[in-house]
Formats: sequence, structure tokens, C-alpha cells
Amino acid sequence: MLLEGKNIDFKYGNEIIFKDFSFELNEGEKLVLKGESGSGKSTLFRLILGFEHPNNGEFLYNGSILKNDTLKSFRKETAWLPQDLNIGNGSVKEVIEYPFQFKSSSVEKPDPATIKNLLIDLRLESSILEKSFSDLSTGQRQRIGILICILMNKPLMLLDEPTSALDRESKVKLADLLLNSDRTILSTSHDPFWVERCDRIIEIQPN
Amino acid sequence: MIRFGWNGVIELLKFNQIDMEIIELSWFQLAIGFLSLLIPGAILWWFKTGLNRKMVIATIRMTLQLLFVGYYLEYIFEYDNPWLNLAWILVMVVVADFATIDRSDLRQKVSLIVPIFGATFLGIVMIDFFFLEVVIQLRTILEAQYAIPITGMVLGNCLRSNVIGINDFYYNLKENQERYQFYLASGATRSEALYPFFQRALQKSANPTLASMATIGLVSLPGMMTGQILSGSSPMTAIQYQIMIMLAIFTGTILSVFLAIIFSNRFVFFENDMPDPSIYKG
Repeated sequence: MLLEGKNIDFKYGNEIIFKDFSFELNEGEKLVLKGESGSGKSTLFRLILGFEHPNNGEFLYNGSILKNDTLKSFRKETAWLPQDLNIGNGSVKEVIEYPFQFKSSSVEKPDPATIKNLLIDLRLESSILEKSFSDLSTGQRQRIGILICILMNKPLMLLDEPTSALDRESKVKLADLLLNSDRTILSTSHDPFWVERCDRIIEIQPN
Repeated sequence: MIRFGWNGVIELLKFNQIDMEIIELSWFQLAIGFLSLLIPGAILWWFKTGLNRKMVIATIRMTLQLLFVGYYLEYIFEYDNPWLNLAWILVMVVVADFATIDRSDLRQKVSLIVPIFGATFLGIVMIDFFFLEVVIQLRTILEAQYAIPITGMVLGNCLRSNVIGINDFYYNLKENQERYQFYLASGATRSEALYPFFQRALQKSANPTLASMATIGLVSLPGMMTGQILSGSSPMTAIQYQIMIMLAIFTGTILSVFLAIIFSNRFVFFENDMPDPSIYKG
């Protein structure tokens, strides 16, 4: 098992977000958490990544409990796509290349041909590279975020509503790129197109 | 005979030197100066800005603070003991420390007070050592006549830059925390994820000093130089000191913003790399 959440309790103020919530994610599996807005789907990623701490319960990665001292090495294994990606005012090219400058990055800075091929796969013009990232539409930002996650080539992808701002054709391309691969993907979605194509669904009910 | 070029300018300045005897201001003359406030007072009152009370309080504070400092400095200059001068510099740094945090819209927490004090003090010590001991080569260590005004000027500018830099760094991080978290989740170290925030804070804090360096002498005559000329120095001596103080101010401001962010980062972040939310006001 690659990732496991055991008996997670989490309250935000007085509001109960998770009560005794558990899940398991196997290597190569595409698991989707389905639920309405406000059911805590995005919060789960923040808990997994250690930005928030659960009141009870624990997360395990490759059998090891995720704690403050193991979080840093865990984050080297992940690629996270937040729901509304806002990562700076630089050009799209600079935004794409920035994460590859990290010391932890095991992947070389992607070459222009790889980026251009992925842009085509995600139905984006290559001229977008020169645009300012902050000028892009939500859907374009989302696709650039997905592109970065794919290029980083990490063992675990955490995708928050990856199709929320995509048109039908882009969704088909994305499903083909990610769901027909051997990647391990934990995603959240309430889009039937995406949910139906994942290996397994866990329904999250608002508490 | 006046020549052209830089030497010509120097000669022109020397040629134009008038009798540099200073005209002492009497308290009565200074009191007449206060009459000028009737004009801004009337304008602010006419437009119902609600600032008249604030103007009166600010004027009283300015006068009392400067009188206090004046009397204190007279004593310090007369006594001129390096330890006493150092103590006065420490007082200035402590006041600057609290003012920086308050004006940055952050809470007075130990996790900010200690590192920002350390950063400001270390920055000032480095600047004072270099400019007072290496460049000017004071006759005695921390000679009051030079150490106090130069430290005061550098510190005043460090305070302004620190406020801009620290406020921008922490509030930009708060407003764009998803960007910071995206980098962390991609495996960045804390300093790698903070790099773009650091970069912008340095740009914002350096810009005002750079702009004033680029226009100094053309748009305005700086206060220190004006003060020196008024108190009898030759314009060329005043200019040399002004150039030196501009270098000290720029180096000091960048250094103190850099150190303040580096030092405070060590205290403000939790082990999971998230900033302590209680540093923010509101």
C-alpha cells in the first residue's frame, strides 16, 4: 500500500470536517474522493501534505507514519494540483520551470520539445509560454498546473478537482494522459466524467 | 579662473563660498516659525479633513521629542563615552524594532521582536564599523559627533525599508499561501518555497532608496547636506558626507531587510513549514 489514512478526525473551529475517516491507496491505483463542495475534499490534501494536523488519526506513506520530521521527504514524492492554482506573476515558462530548480528535484529541467508536446496534449498553444501566468483563465491555469505535475514525474499525484475548469475535449485528453498511465493518483472530483474513469470511488459525506 | 568639468565644479563651489558663520536661532525666532502652521491648519480645517487635532499632536510630539534628544545629545557629545554612545544606539535600535513590527501590521510577539532586533542591531554594527572606523577613521571609537547622527540616519532609513520589506514578505505569504504550499508540496525546502516572496520583499524595500539615490541633488537637497551647509561646512565637504551616507543608507537598508527576514523566518514558522498565524493583526 502506498498511502493510507487511518481514523482521521478533523475539526475546523466547531465544524466537524472528518470523523473517523479512513482510506487506502495502492501503487498505480486511481482513487477518487467524490463529494459535494464543502465536504472537506480539499482539506484532506492539506492534511496529507501536513499543512494542517488532524485532531486524531494518522497518515502512512509506504508504511511509515507521516510526522513533521518525515513530511519533507514525503513532499519530495508528491505532485499536488490545488483547485485554484495561483503561482505567481511571471511568464508561464518561468512558472513551469521554477519547481525544477529545487535541490530536491530529481528531474532535469524539461526541454522545450517535451513542454511543447505536453501543451499540445493539453490543448494549449505554445505561445502561452510567453504570457503572464496571472493573465491566464482558470482553465488554462489548471492545465498548466497539470502539466507541471506530469513533468515532475513524482510517485504520487494529488489532484484537486482536475477537470473543474476544462471543456469536454480537454477532459478526454487529460483522462487519456493520466488515468491510462501507471501513475498513482488520488483525486477529488464531483465530475461524473472523471469519477467514472477512476479505479475506485470513495464518497465523502458532509458531517 | 574657473575651469569646466568636475574640477571646475569644485572650484566654482569654493569660489562661491561665503562667510560660513552660522546664524544662531533664538527661541523667539523658532516660535515665529511655528506661525507657518496657520496655513496648513486653515487648509485642513476648511476642507474638514479632521486632521487638525492630529497636526497639533504631531507638532507637539515632534517638538518635545527633538528637544529631549537635543538636550540628551548635548550631554552625550560633551561626555563622549563610547559605552554611553553604544547605549544610546541600543535605545534607538529597540525603538526601531518595536516601531518596525507595529508599522508592519504584525503583532508584538517574541518570535518577531527578538529576530528583528538582532537583525537591525547586527546591520547597524556592520555599517557603523565599516563607515565610521574604516572609511571615516574616527579618532576615538564611536565618537559621538559622527556615530550618533550617522547611526540615526541609517537607522531611520532601515526602519522605513524594514517596514516595507517585512510587511510585504509576511502579507504576500498570507495572501498567496497556496503558491507557497504548492512549492512545498512539490518538494521545495522552506527557503526555496519562500524565495519568490523574499525576492519581492527586497525589490519593494530597495526601490524607494534607489529612486531617491537616482534623483538626489536634482529634485531635492538632502537633509544632512543642507544641515551641514547651514552649520558652516563647505558644500564639497557636505557632498562627500552625503555620498557616504547614501551608500551607508542603501547598504544598511538592504542588509537589515535581508537579516530581518532570515532571522524572523527561524522563529515564525512551525515544524511543518507553516507560518504562525498569530503574528498577523486581524
